[in-house]
Amino acid sequence: MASDPASVSSNGQDIVCQGDWTALQLDRAARDLRYLRPLPGDVEIDLSGVSRIDSTGAWLIYRAAHKWSKLGAKTRYIGLDDKTRELFELIAGQGIEPGDAPHPPAPGFLENLGRDSAEAARNYMAFLGFIGNATFSSLRILLTPARLRWSQVVVESEEAGFDALPIVGMLAFLMGIVIAYQGAVVLQQYGAGIFIADLVGLAMLRELSPLVTAIIVAGRTGSAYTAQIGTMKVTEEVDALRTMGIAPIELLVLPKIFALVIAMPLLTVFADLMGLLGGMIMANNLLDVSFQNFIDRLASEVTIADYLVGIGKAPVFALIIAAVGCYQGFKVSGSAESVGKHTTISVVESIFLVIVVDAIFSIVFSRMGI
Amino acid sequence: MAQPVVRMRDIVTRFGDKVVHDGISLDVERGEVLAVVGGSGSGKSTLMREMIMLLSPTAGKVEVLGHDVAGISELEALPLRRRIGVMFQHGALFGGQTVLENVGVPLREHTELHDDIVDELAQVKLTLAGLEPRTGALWPNQLSGGMRKRAALARALALDPELLFLDEPSSGLDPLSADALDELILQLRELLGLTVVMITHDMDSLWRAADRVVLLGEGRILGTGSMEELARSNDPDVKRFFSGPRARGAQTGGG
Ligand SMILES: Nc1ncnc2c1ncn2[C@@H]1O[C@H](COP(=O)(O)OP(=O)(O)O)[C@@H](O)[C@H]1O
Ligand SMILES: [Mg+2]
Repeated sequence: MASDPASVSSNGQDIVCQGDWTALQLDRAARDLRYLRPLPGDVEIDLSGVSRIDSTGAWLIYRAAHKWSKLGAKTRYIGLDDKTRELFELIAGQGIEPGDAPHPPAPGFLENLGRDSAEAARNYMAFLGFIGNATFSSLRILLTPARLRWSQVVVESEEAGFDALPIVGMLAFLMGIVIAYQGAVVLQQYGAGIFIADLVGLAMLRELSPLVTAIIVAGRTGSAYTAQIGTMKVTEEVDALRTMGIAPIELLVLPKIFALVIAMPLLTVFADLMGLLGGMIMANNLLDVSFQNFIDRLASEVTIADYLVGIGKAPVFALIIAAVGCYQGFKVSGSAESVGKHTTISVVESIFLVIVVDAIFSIVFSRMGI
Repeated sequence: MAQPVVRMRDIVTRFGDKVVHDGISLDVERGEVLAVVGGSGSGKSTLMREMIMLLSPTAGKVEVLGHDVAGISELEALPLRRRIGVMFQHGALFGGQTVLENVGVPLREHTELHDDIVDELAQVKLTLAGLEPRTGALWPNQLSGGMRKRAALARALALDPELLFLDEPSSGLDPLSADALDELILQLRELLGLTVVMITHDMDSLWRAADRVVLLGEGRILGTGSMEELARSNDPDVKRFFSGPRARGAQTGGG
């Protein structure tokens, strides 16, 4: 039964509706209805030419009639069968006033600013609370190490550490190449090619390896922590744990923190190696520094302290990433959208904090003369 | 002779080794309220997913609104989908939108109606489904289970579909609301010529709302007919399903 789309016409007073008044055919009629303004007095709405009508069509006519009667018209429907009349009665019976839709309150600029500031402060306190809680739980569990879910620590550290070896190694290797390449251009001019080993060694071991590792881990593991815990919150799994007397922090957070604190320094060592390898290959290519010379120079100029400074940062970065990732996971509420939002926050915030803390480390170490 | 709205022939569905449907043939006639019943895991939801073109059966033929949907492209399926409303078992409301916006989604997507009209229509559907219009301002995670069902029903009704699928509409509702929901379904069928396929465990609904009941089990249709017919049936499988104390209570109370 193909029929024309809905249409509406008027002789200035009475209204004639025709065609197919179902949801998908209404666009034109809806536009036309907006501009019809019958005069006060009797208005007949003739529906005899309507081939089909559904509740969307009926609502359009009903709300127009409603508007007109507010302007003083006395509307009356004619030419409609019993079913259509019942449909109109059903719709009118729902008591919906045209023109006022319930929306959540939309606060103004100042209110938003105030809310956001208060929220940020609360957030900060909550994060500190979370850290305190996690620390306390960690200490308690270290007293009774059997209670830690070691099997899970192993699984988590495999996922966060071992599985990340290729990408971390690859990026550190490229980083070593880039530094050596940039350095070579300058050093060559002074005939100081051998200093390339100092440059690559110090830059990689002290700064870049831990940083690159942290950034990758934040991106692939921190985000996964947030998404996992967040999804479990949405599906009420976290609540289920709680009701069974299992502290979510012990099951979900501590194994992740321990795993990352173990895995990150190891990853960093690997990044050190790959970075040096990249630098060494470039030094050999560009500056004719042999592998032997490179390694000798490295051994004499780069101290064990430089190496330990870099490795020492890794567990701190690991703590930051795991804590932020898990905390943001618990902040998820309600919806899939919230999972996405907090996963983003988790990655951005943990990388941000890692870099801030790295800067603080640099200042402290240089003051201490390390 | 009116064409069936959904026609399924020799449907076989397997997940790995697990055979869920083993040769199911079923017609849904225009204007009827068809209830699909069966134990948990008997493949009711899966059968529904096949009718609404979310899943293709391993073998067999499905026709929806006169179109063979085997290997149908999304583009070809779109006009069919617009004529179908679905209420999922757990509501499947979009968490990032208010209830009112959720109900308005199909209208906003498929028509060019003004936002305020869409919002009004969404409210009409919400009250039709038995919710206060004010509920529209809430977020889905602020709703109770029953309210979520009703909001999902309102969204399924947004475009006045010809064919409405309901997966366990009354589970999680109190008895009064469940009664009201049955009433509503019958009323909409009357006024809008709706065809309804509902999966339900609710014996009262079966007695009151269903024109025809299909009992699934062991991958087959164990019985089909009106509730009276099934209740009188001598088939042992059918007897077992419909002769528990709950089923008999519903019959004396509601039938
Ligand atoms: N995507 C899937 N993969 C594997 N098995 C499935 C899948 N969906 C459903 N099943 C199985 O099919 C059977 C029927 O499921 P379902 O249709 O949901 O049952 P119900 O009748 O309770 O709605 C169940 O045993 C379920 O485990
Ligand atoms: Mg199911």
